[in-house]
Amino acid sequence: MSNVWRSHTRRQEELDEEIRGHLEMAIRDRMARGETREEAERAARREFGDVTTVREVTGDMWSGQSVERVVQDARWAFRGLLRAPGFTAVAILTLALGIGANTAIFSVVNGVLLEPLPYPQSHELVFITSQFPTLGFDQFPVDAAEYLELKERNRSFQDLGAYVTSAANIGGDGQQPARVTSAIATSSLFTTLGVPARVGRTFTPAEMLPNAAPVAVLSSELWESVFGGQRDIVGKQIDIEGVKTTVVGIMPPGFDIHDQGVKLWQPLTLDPAQRNQYRGSHFLLLVGRLAPNVTLARAKSELQTLLAQWPAADGADANAAPGAPGFVHTPTTKNHRLRYDDLRKDIVGSIGTALVVLQAAVALVLLIACANMANLLLMRAETRHKELAVRAALGAGRGRLMRQFLAEGLVLSFGGAIAGVALAYWGLHALVAANAGSIPRAASVALDGRVLLFTLVLAIGTGLLFGLAPLLHLSTNSIGLTLRDAGSRTTAGAARNRVRRALVIAEMAFAVMLVVGAGLLLRSFWNLMRVDSGFDRSSLTTFNVVLPAAPYKDSTRRVAFFSDLMTKLGAVPGVKAVAAMSGLPPRRQVNANDTDIEGYVPEPNGPAQNVDYYQYVTPSYVSTMGIPVVEGRSFGPADGPLSTPVAMINQRMANLFYGKTSPIGRRVKPGGSKNWFTIVGVLKDVKQGGVDSRTGSELYLDYEQAPVALGFAPRNMNVVIRSPLEPASLAATVRRTVSSLDPTLPVVKFRTMDDVFSDSVSRPRFLAQLLGIFAAVALALAAIGTYGVLAYSVTVRRRELGIRMALGSSQQGLLSLVLGQGMGLAVIGLIAGLVGAFAVTRLASSLLFGVKPADPLTFIGVSAFMLAVAFVACLVPARRATHVDPLVALRTE
Amino acid sequence: MIYTLTHSLSTNERMPLSRIELLQGTLDMIVLQTLRWGPRHGYGLVQMIRTNSRGVLQVDTGSLYPALHRLEREGSIAASWEISENRQRVRVYRLTPAGRKRLAAERSKWDQLSEAIAGIFTPPVPEET
Repeated sequence: MSNVWRSHTRRQEELDEEIRGHLEMAIRDRMARGETREEAERAARREFGDVTTVREVTGDMWSGQSVERVVQDARWAFRGLLRAPGFTAVAILTLALGIGANTAIFSVVNGVLLEPLPYPQSHELVFITSQFPTLGFDQFPVDAAEYLELKERNRSFQDLGAYVTSAANIGGDGQQPARVTSAIATSSLFTTLGVPARVGRTFTPAEMLPNAAPVAVLSSELWESVFGGQRDIVGKQIDIEGVKTTVVGIMPPGFDIHDQGVKLWQPLTLDPAQRNQYRGSHFLLLVGRLAPNVTLARAKSELQTLLAQWPAADGADANAAPGAPGFVHTPTTKNHRLRYDDLRKDIVGSIGTALVVLQAAVALVLLIACANMANLLLMRAETRHKELAVRAALGAGRGRLMRQFLAEGLVLSFGGAIAGVALAYWGLHALVAANAGSIPRAASVALDGRVLLFTLVLAIGTGLLFGLAPLLHLSTNSIGLTLRDAGSRTTAGAARNRVRRALVIAEMAFAVMLVVGAGLLLRSFWNLMRVDSGFDRSSLTTFNVVLPAAPYKDSTRRVAFFSDLMTKLGAVPGVKAVAAMSGLPPRRQVNANDTDIEGYVPEPNGPAQNVDYYQYVTPSYVSTMGIPVVEGRSFGPADGPLSTPVAMINQRMANLFYGKTSPIGRRVKPGGSKNWFTIVGVLKDVKQGGVDSRTGSELYLDYEQAPVALGFAPRNMNVVIRSPLEPASLAATVRRTVSSLDPTLPVVKFRTMDDVFSDSVSRPRFLAQLLGIFAAVALALAAIGTYGVLAYSVTVRRRELGIRMALGSSQQGLLSLVLGQGMGLAVIGLIAGLVGAFAVTRLASSLLFGVKPADPLTFIGVSAFMLAVAFVACLVPARRATHVDPLVALRTE
Repeated sequence: MIYTLTHSLSTNERMPLSRIELLQGTLDMIVLQTLRWGPRHGYGLVQMIRTNSRGVLQVDTGSLYPALHRLEREGSIAASWEISENRQRVRVYRLTPAGRKRLAAERSKWDQLSEAIAGIFTPPVPEET
């Protein structure tokens, strides 16, 4: 390479000297004939012609070796582009947007969909859950008995672990109380995942037995943030939920399960001898590691055999109904199945469709950018007619010109790619930071080698694609024709115009598809925002407190704590009302509680006696939340801890179990309770499970009655405050108040109810926003492209327009001529785009809410909008056409 | 009238009206033929072609130098740096054996072409049948 380069440089120097010598000899001869030095120099130079081009073209004769040729082509491209800085800047910016957006979205696709999970041999990992088809639960936790039996009976997995995530208060040693995501796990979970502790060890099976000394494993993140990264923490005791717990190990950085962000690991208490006591309490999620040479499909077929044998293996009658003699709550092939899913696929979930839509959207943006670039280069090739003709005439063959065009295209696309990667780096950080919650596996999203390779391929691909555009122009014209064309401004070749028109139509069609997609997603998001949540969200603030199990073992202490808290907060000036509830809408997990409903006879295909949500609330709950009471009354002061147990239900539960009869005065018995609860009121449905999902049945229980009537009151409560006070000042008051009651309690999830709801739709919002941005970019590019082509055609047709004007065409006539030409293309593009959108949007219907993929309103609105944009883009060049001065236009030729 | 020899189009902006566009091979032939009289540098070739054509033909430098370097690369001519009578370093071109063969080929092609053109101007009397 360096040899080639050196010989190339030497030849260029020699050529310079040769040309210089030629000029000197010419000057000397002229001076000998009596000319002055100045005259002689001027004449010699004139006679010689353009030194630079002669030098370049002559030098080109030597470009034989491929390396040298590539270098030369690149130099030629650079020189050409530097001579047109405006064009180059626009081109690189356009490409940077297109390539940058593709790089950014691909790094998300790569991190989320392509990158394997951070465990050794992670493809062997299977996520195991249960399924209750008759209850409508497609993916549900399993009970501990099932876990133990599956572990014992299966032949498909080499190892199997179980876990459940929750939250824990940690403190101790004068530290601020903190709340962290924790997981209660079996010791086998770590061996299944194949990740050992970084310092110390993970749990032993003995530590899972009842009465074992409490131990914990920390994540690296928690170890560093809360415990300052001291190695000697291992072996020491820390305070978890009010219990002194020994730290036995620290996990490597980034170790997690199912993207939950677990910071603290504690052993699951599980006594295999007590197996039968665990039946029916579904709270565990399982992860299995397939044995060598076992595929997921083979494991699934083994599962069918296991399920068929399961009831008999536990001495149960497989045909006995729940509650009937001989019934044991075990998995079966019918109403209580187990399901196996690829762990990675399960984590990624439904974001796959969204990411594919986004990647397709940015691909369209890039295609539009390419079409624009092709147009620009085509025009540029035409304005450089003469230069190209000279090169062709002096022996630069078609092949060489092709290489030079490609070189120019590639130099541009690489420039665009470099700027695009910078743009993507910046954009990706903004994207992930703003939407961390709605992108699973966000931690693995990065501009890594694979992403950069993708960008490189993209740069080469786009460079080739639009770099070849000027060749269309060459191939439709023989060199000779080009030369004759060079000086005159006759109408350009018809084929070339066809290409340009096709590019405009394609740009328009792609942009229409994107804008339709963005429109549909925006309407979906709008619909989501307008869903009636069932209560009044305005000036409502919420926070969460979890009472640690050990100091609050007694349920009456829990009720007393929240009762005191309600009283104290209610006395704060500016607080209008305050209440507490066990489950915070709209992101509640279904808990599917078996419930006896007095007098209810299940129909063959009717609802089972199972309620989706139990909600423990303090007496002022209904008035604080602003939930309308449909029938009866809400809890009141009369419902004391010792009076008749009462309950409220939502409309859905009333419809499910009582139909048209009134539920007031009827009784229900929650699972595990000895007492019957009398229904005193029916409340309007609240969106507990998400604004976009079906409302579940809900049973409200009085928190203050719970300890006596049920023998249990939850420790984890969400407080709601209705107050016009600023959330910030309210937060300070809340923290002070909670701390005055118990200084070890952290206050978490302090947010306005509006924020809670808006977070619950963060993924659709994120999608709508991104697609909106891409559609806007596509729209701008397409408008610029349409404008550019039309403006160019007006320039080229100046002479024709001048003649028309001279022959008596009115300005109005010319305006509509040019406008008609542009709008004709826009309408064809629009129709093509609408057809394309109609065909494609249905594939993304799972992302839509309350709007059909072929929503007429969106399609009509987008059409009108696109025509308006196209009209503006065409109007400017059309108006310019009317300002053509016939005399000037004819004279310039 | 002086005719400027160029092929197709010259880089010279002030192109005289009286230009003769030559096929690439024809300019090559003229260069090779002129070098038969001995090694010459580029400027010398321009002068010699003008003299030999009795002042009628002027080679355009924008066509000459690319042609010289192309012929050199093909091996039809060879170049070397020499010192001229004015004590100036000049690049001198000389015909190679391959160049002689090339010249002969171009020459016979040219003769065929001229004969054909001449034939057009003096068409044979059509035979009556």
